[in-house]
Amino acid sequence: MEENNNNNSKNIDNNFKALMKSPLQHNALEDDEDFSPEFQCCVCLELLYKPVVLACGHISCFWCVFNAMNIWHESNCPVCRHPYNHFPSICQLLHFLLMKLYPAIYKKRERQVTEEEKKSGQFSPEVEYHIFRSQTSKDVDSVCNSLHFPSQEQTKLYSESYSSREGKSSSCMQSFETAVECGDDTTLKSATSSESSEATANSTIQECSLTVNDLEYKAHNQFSVDDLPCAACKRMLFQPVVLNCGHVYCESCIVVPRDGNFRCPICQSLHPHGLPSVCLILEHFLEEQFSDLYAERRKALRIQTNGSTQAQRHAHRSASFPKNVYSSWWVGNGPKVHVGVGCDFCGMSPIIGERYKCKDCTERIGFDLCEACYNNPVKTPGRFNQQHKPEHKFEIMQPADINDLLYRMNAELSDDEGSDATENNDGVSRTPESSGDVPEDLEDNTNDRENASPNYFFSVDASIDAEDDSDEPSSDFAQ
Amino acid sequence: MIDFGRVQKELQECSKDIEASGIKINPVSDNLVHLTGTIPGPIGTPYEGGTFHIDITLPDGYPFEPPKMHFVTKVWHPNISSQSGAICLDILKDQWSPALTLKTALLSVQALLSAPEPDDPQDAVVAQQYLRDYQTFVGTARYWTETFAKASSLGVEEKVQKLVEMGFPDSLVKSTLEAVGGDENMALEKLLSS
Repeated sequence: MEENNNNNSKNIDNNFKALMKSPLQHNALEDDEDFSPEFQCCVCLELLYKPVVLACGHISCFWCVFNAMNIWHESNCPVCRHPYNHFPSICQLLHFLLMKLYPAIYKKRERQVTEEEKKSGQFSPEVEYHIFRSQTSKDVDSVCNSLHFPSQEQTKLYSESYSSREGKSSSCMQSFETAVECGDDTTLKSATSSESSEATANSTIQECSLTVNDLEYKAHNQFSVDDLPCAACKRMLFQPVVLNCGHVYCESCIVVPRDGNFRCPICQSLHPHGLPSVCLILEHFLEEQFSDLYAERRKALRIQTNGSTQAQRHAHRSASFPKNVYSSWWVGNGPKVHVGVGCDFCGMSPIIGERYKCKDCTERIGFDLCEACYNNPVKTPGRFNQQHKPEHKFEIMQPADINDLLYRMNAELSDDEGSDATENNDGVSRTPESSGDVPEDLEDNTNDRENASPNYFFSVDASIDAEDDSDEPSSDFAQ
Repeated sequence: MIDFGRVQKELQECSKDIEASGIKINPVSDNLVHLTGTIPGPIGTPYEGGTFHIDITLPDGYPFEPPKMHFVTKVWHPNISSQSGAICLDILKDQWSPALTLKTALLSVQALLSAPEPDDPQDAVVAQQYLRDYQTFVGTARYWTETFAKASSLGVEEKVQKLVEMGFPDSLVKSTLEAVGGDENMALEKLLSS
C-alpha cells in the first residue's frame, strides 16, 4: 500500500516536473474533453460527481460534502461558510444533466469513485434514471414542441424502455456505458442549440433503425430544456432552488408556511432550513443555454409579483439549530448530541435528541434515524445505499461518552493506518476519514486535560490555538 | 489519505499564473507531502523586495484538514514567530475550509504580511514593538528582509558552480535548485538529504 503510493506520487512528481518545464502543455494529463469550470467541485477540483446542493446554493460532490462535514457540531459550507445541520441528498437533476453534458468524464469519475468506495467499504446511493424521470417529466410538451426538442412522447418511450428493460438492481450507468461506447462525437456535445439537436435527431432517425439501444442513447446524450423541469410547475426551472431532499423547484413555486416547516411536495420530506438560496451555478447555466426562454420567464414573473415576497422569504433562511445546542449537551443541560452519527432520512448530522439505530442493517456504516424521522418515516432510501427494510427493528442508542470518544480518537490517531480501528465501534458509526479540527486539537491536549470539565472542549476551538502557540512568545521574550 | 490528485491539480493551476501572483509551489520530497511555497513581499511594506520561503507539510486529512505551514525565511512580523517561523492565521487553523487551496492560503499569508494583527500576536516582542515604536518596527522588519529574504547576490550560474564544486552532479544541482526556487541553502540541504 505504502509502496504503491510512493510510486504513484513519484510519477506525479515527474509529470509535474515535465509540466513545469513546458508550461504550454497544461493539458498533457487531461486525456479527455474539458468541462466548464462552473461544474468543478470546489473540494476535489474534479467534475462534480453525484452533486449535492447545500442550502446556500453551493454544490459539491456527495463524498466531498460528507468528508467536509463536522462530526461534532454544525457544518459550514466550504465556499461561503453558511452553517447547516443536515446532509442534503444527491441532486438527481444535476446528476443526470452532468452525465449528458460530459459523458466521458462523468463515466471516468464514476469509475474512480466506485473504486474508492470499494476500498473504504462505504457506498453512495445509486441513482436510477427511470425513477427520476417518472418523478419529474410530465407536461413539458408545449415547451418542447415550440423549441423543436425531442417531443415528450419520445421521452416517455425512452423511460418506458428503461423501466421495462432494467431490474431494480442495475443502475442506469450500465446501459449508459454502452451508449457512450457506441456514440459518435457529433451528437455527444452538440445538443445545446435547438437547431443542431433537431438536425441530429433527424439524421439519427434516418440513419439508424429505431432500436431500443438508439432510443436509450438519445435519451441519455441529448440534454434539452426537458431535462431541467421544475418539480412543481413542470416548466423549465427559473431561479432554481434545491431542497434538502435533492428535488429542484423554481424559487417562485415554493411557499414556505408560517411555521417554517416546509415539506417537499414530491417526497414529503421536511426541508429544514426555510427557503434555500437560488443555486446560482444552475441558474447561470439555464440563462446561458436557454436565454430567450429564461428572459420570458423573468418577464412573466415580474408581472406576477411585485418583488416584495423574495426578501420576506429569505428571512426564513438560517441554520435550524442554535449554535449552543451542541455544547449545552456536554454541560448537561441540553438535548442529547450523537457525535459522528447522522440521520439516514433527513440527514441531520450529528443527531440531536433520541437516536434510533437499526438492529438489522448489516452495513458497516449502520442505519440511524432521528426522533422525528422515526416517528414520521418518509420513503427515501438510506444515504449510503443501506438495504434498510420497513420491517427492520430499531433500538434507542445513548450518545457515546465524551471520555470514551476521546479515548477512541486517540487510539485511532495513534494507530498508524487506523484501518480497522473503526470496525468495532458501534457508537460512532460514521467516522469520516478526516477527524476534523476539533479531534486533532483534542488529541494534542487530552493528556493534561483528562479531568477538565466537558464544556471546555467546545470552547477549545479558539483557546487551543492560542495555547499551541504560547510556547513561542515566551521563548521570544527570553531572547 | 491525502488527495494527491487534487494536490497535483493545485500545483498545475498555481504554475499557470506565476506571472500574475508571483506565488510558487514546488514539491520538496518525491511524494507531494512536503512542499515549499515562495511568496514575494508585498509592495509598500517593509517586506517589499524580499522573497519568502514557506515550508508546507500536508496532513493525512488534506484537504479536509489545513496544510501545516511555517516560514523558512526569517521574518520580523507580529503574527509570525521570529524564532520558529510559526504563522498565526485563522485559516490555517480552525477557519480552514476544503475549498481553500495551497495557493489561496499562501495569498492569505502574503496578505498577512501587509496587514499585521498586533492584537492577536504570535510573537509578543515584535507585537509590542509594533504597537509602541512603529518606526523601529519598520526598520527592523526592513533590515530582516534585506538580510534574510533577498536572494543572495550570486547568480544562478554561480550557485550551480558552487554546488557542483562541492561534488554534486551538474544536472542534479540544476534540478534541485529549480525545485527549491533558487535558494542555494535549501538546495544544499535537499542534496545532502537525498
